[in-house]
This record gives sequence, C-alpha cells and structure tokens, in this order.
Amino acid sequence: MNFRLLTLTTLTAAGIAGSAFAADTVKLGYQLPLTGDTAQYGQDFRKAAEIALTEFNAAGKPFKVEIVFEDSRSDAKEGTNIARKFVDDKEIVGVLGDFTSGVSMASAQVYKEAGMPQLSQTASHPDYTKVSKYQFRNIATQAQEGPYNAKWMASKGIKNVAVIAEQTDWGQSVVSGFSDAVKANGGTVAFSEFFNRGLKDYRSLISKIERAKPDAIYTGFFYEDGAQFLKQLQQLGIKTPVYSTSAAYSPKLIELAGGAAEGVHLTSNFLPTDPSPNVQHFVDEWKKRSDGAVPGQFPAQAYDAVRIMLAAVEKASPNPTREKVRDALAQTKDFPGVTGKTSFSADREAEKELVKVEVKGGAFVPVAE
Amino acid sequence: MNAFETVASADGLTRRRGLLVPALILLLVFAALPALLAGFDKGYFYQIANLALIFVLLSASMHLVTGVAGLLHLGHAAFYGVGAYTAALLTSKLGLGFTVTLPLSGLVAALVAFLVALPTMRLVSIYFAVATLAIGQMLYLVMLNWVDFTKGPNGIIVSKGFELFGISLSGRLAAYYTVAAVVTLSVVAIGRLSHSYYGNALRSIREDDQCADAMGVSTVRLKMEAFTLSAFFAGVAGSLWAHMTGYISPGDFKFSESILILAMVVVGGLGSLPGAVIGALLLILLPEGLRGLGDFRNIMVGLVMFLSILLLPKGLLGEVSALRLVRRQLGAAWRNTGKGEGIGWR
Amino acid sequence: MFDPYYLQQLAIGLSLGMTYALMAIGFTLIFGVLNVVNFAHGEIYTLGAFAGLVLISATAPPIVAVILGALAIGALAGFSLERIAFKPFRRFTDEASLKSRAMRESTLLSSLAVSIVVREALEIVFGSQMRSVPFEYLINTPVRVGPVILVTGDFIIFGVAAAMLIGLQYLLTRTRVGLAIRAVSNNPLGAKYVGIDTDRTIITTFVVGSMMGAAAGILMGLYYGAVFPAMGFTPGIKAFVAMVMGGLSSIPGAVICALILGISESMATTFVSSGWSDMVAYGFLILTLIFFPNGLFGARRERV
Repeated sequence: MNFRLLTLTTLTAAGIAGSAFAADTVKLGYQLPLTGDTAQYGQDFRKAAEIALTEFNAAGKPFKVEIVFEDSRSDAKEGTNIARKFVDDKEIVGVLGDFTSGVSMASAQVYKEAGMPQLSQTASHPDYTKVSKYQFRNIATQAQEGPYNAKWMASKGIKNVAVIAEQTDWGQSVVSGFSDAVKANGGTVAFSEFFNRGLKDYRSLISKIERAKPDAIYTGFFYEDGAQFLKQLQQLGIKTPVYSTSAAYSPKLIELAGGAAEGVHLTSNFLPTDPSPNVQHFVDEWKKRSDGAVPGQFPAQAYDAVRIMLAAVEKASPNPTREKVRDALAQTKDFPGVTGKTSFSADREAEKELVKVEVKGGAFVPVAE
Repeated sequence: MNAFETVASADGLTRRRGLLVPALILLLVFAALPALLAGFDKGYFYQIANLALIFVLLSASMHLVTGVAGLLHLGHAAFYGVGAYTAALLTSKLGLGFTVTLPLSGLVAALVAFLVALPTMRLVSIYFAVATLAIGQMLYLVMLNWVDFTKGPNGIIVSKGFELFGISLSGRLAAYYTVAAVVTLSVVAIGRLSHSYYGNALRSIREDDQCADAMGVSTVRLKMEAFTLSAFFAGVAGSLWAHMTGYISPGDFKFSESILILAMVVVGGLGSLPGAVIGALLLILLPEGLRGLGDFRNIMVGLVMFLSILLLPKGLLGEVSALRLVRRQLGAAWRNTGKGEGIGWR
Repeated sequence: MFDPYYLQQLAIGLSLGMTYALMAIGFTLIFGVLNVVNFAHGEIYTLGAFAGLVLISATAPPIVAVILGALAIGALAGFSLERIAFKPFRRFTDEASLKSRAMRESTLLSSLAVSIVVREALEIVFGSQMRSVPFEYLINTPVRVGPVILVTGDFIIFGVAAAMLIGLQYLLTRTRVGLAIRAVSNNPLGAKYVGIDTDRTIITTFVVGSMMGAAAGILMGLYYGAVFPAMGFTPGIKAFVAMVMGGLSSIPGAVICALILGISESMATTFVSSGWSDMVAYGFLILTLIFFPNGLFGARRERV
C-alpha cells in the first residue's frame, strides 16, 4: 500500500515536471480516444496528425510545433480532465478534438470558460459551434449532407425512403437533416428508426424495412455497424438501393462487408484517387505508415484539421496567443485541404464541397456526373 | 481499528482516538487540500478533486446497499443519471438554481428507485442483482431513447453553476468547497446510518436474511429503504456532476459506470465506509496519475485492481469482522487458563 | 398469424436466442459449481474468436481445425483463469472467511480485473478495430426454408448448442466426473469430506465451461464475420440474464430463457423502434422474476 502510494506520487510529480519546454516551440493539444472501444479512430487521427506535423516542422518555419496527445477513451470524465489539463498549460494555444460529440461538448464547456480555441475534426452535435466563439469544426454537418443526399436521390427518381440511423446525436442529426429535405423535395419518409450503436443483428430491423417497401434506404452508420447491416441485407436477399453518409466512407467498410457493399451510394469529402498533389502526398505518407492501406474519410479530416490549426498558428505568430489563434482560425478561407476547400462561416461551421461516390467492383468510385 | 467505532470501546482513550481521525480528515478536506489547490492554482487539480469527491459519494451510497445490506447492485449509475437529468432539466427548462436542484435530484432519484424497486424487493442475492442490472439498463434506455423529454443522445447543456440562494459559487475554490461540503455531509450521514442499530439491522440481512426474517426484522422494508436511500445520494451526486461539468449525455451513465462504482466498493473493502472512500479515490486518481504510461494505462489499472484484491482480499480497509468485535467485547471470557490453553472459540 | 413477416421475425428471434444460448451454457456450468459470477467469461469468448482468426490467417486450415484450435485455447484460458483469479481465494478456510460475503465478492472483482487486463491486452496487440474473417470461412450463406430465410450458421449453431446440451447432460449424469461436479456444486465442504478432489473438479468445470465459451466465440465470429476485443461484453450480459432467468443451476433453463430473450427482442422491433427492443427483453426478465422469484426452472430456496 505504501509502495503503491509512493509510485503514484512519483508518477504524478514526473508528469507535472515534464511540461516545461524550450522557447520557439508552440504547443497544441489533441484530445482523442487512444484506448477503449473507439480507439481505432483515435489511433488513425494520431497517425494523420503526425504526418501533418512532420511536414510542417520540416518546412523551415521560424518556429516548431509540438502536439500533446491525451487519451480520452471517448469518456466525458476523462475528456473534461484533459481539457482542464490543456487549459492549465500556458504554452498550449489551441486544441484539437474530440472524436465523439458528447465528449467534445463536455470539453467545450471548459474551453469556453478559458478562451481556448477548439477545432474538432468530427464533432457533429448541432449545438457544438453554438457553445461559444471558440468552437470550430471542419466536418460537413448533416444539415449540409442531408439535403445533398436528398437531392441526389430525388434526381434518381426515388420517392419513398426508409431512414435508419444510430442512436447518437450524430444519428439524430442525420435523420432530421435528411427527412426535412426529402419532404421539401416532395418525397416521403416510409419510416425512420434509430438503432443502438454496436448492434450486431439487424435482421429484425431489415425485415421491418422490407415490409414498408421503400424505394431506397438511407442509412446513418459508421463502418462497423454498416458492414453488419449490409451483410445481413444481402443474407435476407433484399435488393433495395442503400444510400449513406460520409461517415461510412472507409476502406474497412468494403473489407468487412465484401460483396455486400456493392452498389452502396454515399457522399464524401475525400477521394484518395483524386490526382491533386496534396491528396496524393497524404495518401502516400499514409500508405507508408499503414502497410499499404488507403486512408478513409476520418483520417483525412484529422489531417486537414491539424493543418488548418497549424496555418492559423502560423498566421497568429510571432507570439501566438489563444485569442490570436482563434481569430486566425475564424479567418480561414478556401484552405486547400485534402477534403476539399474549407472555409469557416460566421458561425464557425465548415463550408465544404461534397462528392458522390459509389461502391463498384470492391472499391469506392466517384459517380460520373 | 475502525475509526468510527465507538460502540465497543472499553476505555475513554479509545473514544478519544475515535474522534482524532475524523477531525484530521475534516482538516485535510476543508483546509489542507484547498490550500494546496489554491497554491497550485491549476484547473486540472480542481477538476480531479471534484471528480474524486463525486465518486466518493457514489461509492459511499453504493456501500450502503452492497456493503452494509449485502445486496449486489448493478444499476447504480442509472440513478446517478436520473439525478443528473433532473438537475439538468430543472435548470434548462425551469431555470432553477443549484439550491433547488440539489435536493430535488436526490428526491426524484429516490422516488424512481422506490417505484422500480417495488416489484423486485422480494428477490434475493443474485436474482436481485440481475433485477438491478435490468432496472439500470432500462433507465439508461429511457435516457437514451426518449428524445422528446430527455433530448436523448443530444444531451443537455447545464448553463448554471453552483450557487446558494442566489449567491454564485462558481469560482474554482467556491465550487470545490460546495462539492466538498455536500459530499462530506452525505458521507457523514451514510456513516451515521451504517454505524447504528439501523445499520446492524441491514447487516443482519447481509449475514443471513432468512434468520433476520425469522427474528422479526422486516427484510423487505429494510431493503427498500436501503435501496431508496442509496439512490437519493446517487441523485445528489448526479446534480453535482451536472452543475460542475455543464453538459450531460446518456453515455455518462451506462452500465460500465455501475461496474466501476462496484469495483470501487469492493476494492476498498466490502462493508467498510472508509474502504469505499479509499476505493473511489484509488480508481479515480490512479488512471489520471498513470497518464504518463500512455496506452498501457488501463492495463496497469486492471493489474493494480487485481493485485489489491489478491493481496488484500477483504479490501484495502476491510470491515472489522463481527467475530472480532464480539471477541473484544467479551474479552474477559477469553483469558488463558494459565495452562497455556485459551477458552472459547478462536 | 402465418404472415411470413411474423414467421421471419420469429425465425430471426430463435436464431438470435441460440447465439445467446451458446454463451449461456458455459456460463451457467461455471456459476453452478462455484456460485460466483465469472466476469471474465466474455473475454474467454473473445479469446476463442481471436484464436480462430489467428489460426485462419496463419495457416488457413479447414474449418473444423479452426474450431478445435479455438477449443484448445479456450481450455487453456479457462485453466489459467481459474488458477489466477479463483484459486487464490479458496486458500482461506477459517470460519469467518467462509461465511464472509466479502470473500465471495472479491472473486467477482478479481475476475473483473482479469477481464479488464485481458481486454486491454487484446486491444494493444490486435488493435480495437473490427477485424474481418476471410469469406471462405463464414457460415452465413442464406438458406431458404419455406417463406423464411435462415443462414447455414443457424443450423450449425443449433447443432452445436444441442450437442453441448446433450453432451453436458451425459457428462453430468452418467460419468464420475459429472457426479463430482454435481457434488461440489451442491456442497463444496461436504464433497471434500467424502474424498472428492474439489480442486480438480473445479478446474475441470472451468476447462469445460471455458471451452464452450470459446466455441461460442469462434462460431459467433464466423457467423457475424466480425471479431474485435470488446465483442464479449454484450453477450456476457445476455448470458448472465438468461442464466438467472432460467434458475441458476439449470442449464436447459438457461437455454430456454436465452431463446425467450432472443424472440422477445426480435418480435419487439415489430412494434417499437429497434432502440427500445432491449427494454422489452429486460421487461420480460423483471416479469419472470416477479412471478418466479427463483427463476423459471430454479430450485426452491433451501436453508443455506
């Protein structure tokens, strides 16, 4: 008991002492889930961030940047602890993260109080950017994607749609963003339903969908649930076309679902086949660190988020402060990211271009317009 | 020697010693620790201190049900959630302040506990445990899926911090004192409850409920009361969390949190209130302290948990066993006869 | 009534229930003997699935060899689990410890701690993402039975579960080992006094139970085509619920209750949103416990 106490105290002291650092280094914080159920996303983000950071530090700028990564396990308790830790460190001028909206929202309360700019690569909660002027996000919200998808489906003559989404704040925004747009275009929503994230067996839900006989199914899921859903859809012999959001855009979806993913339509901001040099550079760097695997939408989002933050820090330097970085972020216009040109609107939402994609022959192929 | 033990003291010295430790603890919580926190002035330390205190309260309230009454409770986090949601909804929909939401959260959580417990109080041991698991999960599903009322997975922003009758207490030190005061009062209340004849009645249910029933102790009524009381304190903890963090969502109250609280109570020592407190402190402070280990942090926590239960199976600060208590009371009867043998059981 | 939609939902419910039953059988066996909840059973399930996956990626053997490999790993894991997490708590034989509830709860915590360590270790070694199983091994090719579509996996799982049940019944009622297991689960101290080697019996129970858990894991991995470190959590909870609902010591009872859970979940989606379907299952559990406080097939409570 005493030994344990001693070890604990020593470790804590070491942690505190380790934060002093030389000048000419600007620090950023990154809170992300490195362990736990969502660790695969956090690990991907870290990899993408390291790619961006290495490029930046090698580009001969007048200062170096260091990113402090902290593991939040997608748990609000840990997220808020980390947020306070970052806020305490006077050298940290900007924060990236978190992955889930819930943790981003909880941490946002801390950052709002402390005046620390926070850029999330994936937080999709509708009220996130309304928390304060310090919250930014560079992902297209469902308020943009929903109408885009609705228009696409309407253009294909689809009138009656069944909507299913995971029961998270993101899923809620998928359903609301899409349903309103479909009705505005004169279509109908056959039914909409939420399933608990992590559900393995969708067959009863699929039977229910089939009974409603929709023209198409619009889905709001991530690749893990998506793969299960698509496989079971195929098992039950259902041929209804499936449309989805950019969250499903991941090579792992095809890997897990195999032939069942054939013909799925979805949107994305990122296409690894895009010939532009910055996209190809990112894809090459990623392949080098991932045994040849191609990156999906989420790592690309993280890569861009880090680069946007770095650009803001550069604009705010010399002597970047949290206020200056925040203002620089807000002024980001047409940033050339791998997920398309990004600008922050007046309410710090990202205005992004979306691309239509289809799964053909076991790969994501952009839909020819 | 248990600090709260004033029952079986044979001499005044023990009684005085019984007051020293609580006084030291009060001094630590209300004077030494705030001084340290103000000295470092890091929001991180304040946050951890508050979080640890909230979980101390959760652990102590669970101790009442699982440690004292011996009913394995697998749904405690759900009542924590009910309290937090009550506070959040009252603040966001009716604009009420902390002074009102604090007692109301506790009362609503207790009421919900009473209602859901009514059908299940006759159950014993593992059946009761599974029933509490089911109750906890059902409450969580309600929090997650009843979007019209609880906003479901979108969560609720709690815009007001701590206050007392209108005086804002949201400065760091003030917030700490508020949390510390509420938690200390509650823990003292739980302590008084468990170290009393009422607590003994609860313990009799734990030791042998058929026997207790035969002796006239109304086990069903006592179980209901213990369950409801523990839910009250969990609800109070919930309102502390809601006002401290400013945002709650159903994911804060899922089943794994209940397991975490159970682990705190068992690691500390089942049946011992100081043990429950220490268990909570250990399982909150250790993962934070081990952040330097990066991705290996959680394995270390698991290993520490395992080693602590292996080496100290009765927990870090196990309860004084009833046998030992009795033996000490009747100390005179166990004198050696002089022939080197002891009389009475060993 | 014979609306194919309801038949399909029923079939889905049955197949779902069978997947829960697979896990419940091993879980109930272990609980019946030691009277402690084994929190690490879900991790043994996961280990079985990962063992199968590793075997497949390493040497691509025929499917039977994969399952046998998973069984072997399950047996090994069960043995180690018993030695590490449960044995050390049997070293106390004084009266106070035997009567102390705290001692029993401590095995609960030790198995919980072991499960945390194993899960985190799996995450570090394999990463927490979902891994796919090569398609030749999957057992989910659809099979049409009248108006209803099932998959080959459903029949395999049904066969395996039936084999497990029958095998266990045979083991428990017709062999000496089974007799020893039943004796220890009835009265451990008494069994010791009549000369039964309780230690070895407990180890045997753990090994058999864990083998079943690992078999459940690999079959589920092949059935759903997805293997990831946290996969044992939900099935573990369902198995626990099924076991208690069925009456603690009755293995057929646990299987029947697992089926009931599966059917109630799947039929519930007809009437309520999929998110609420879990609620129906838990509601069923509470109802069962109200009317059958000792579970559906549980023995009446004895004087302990």
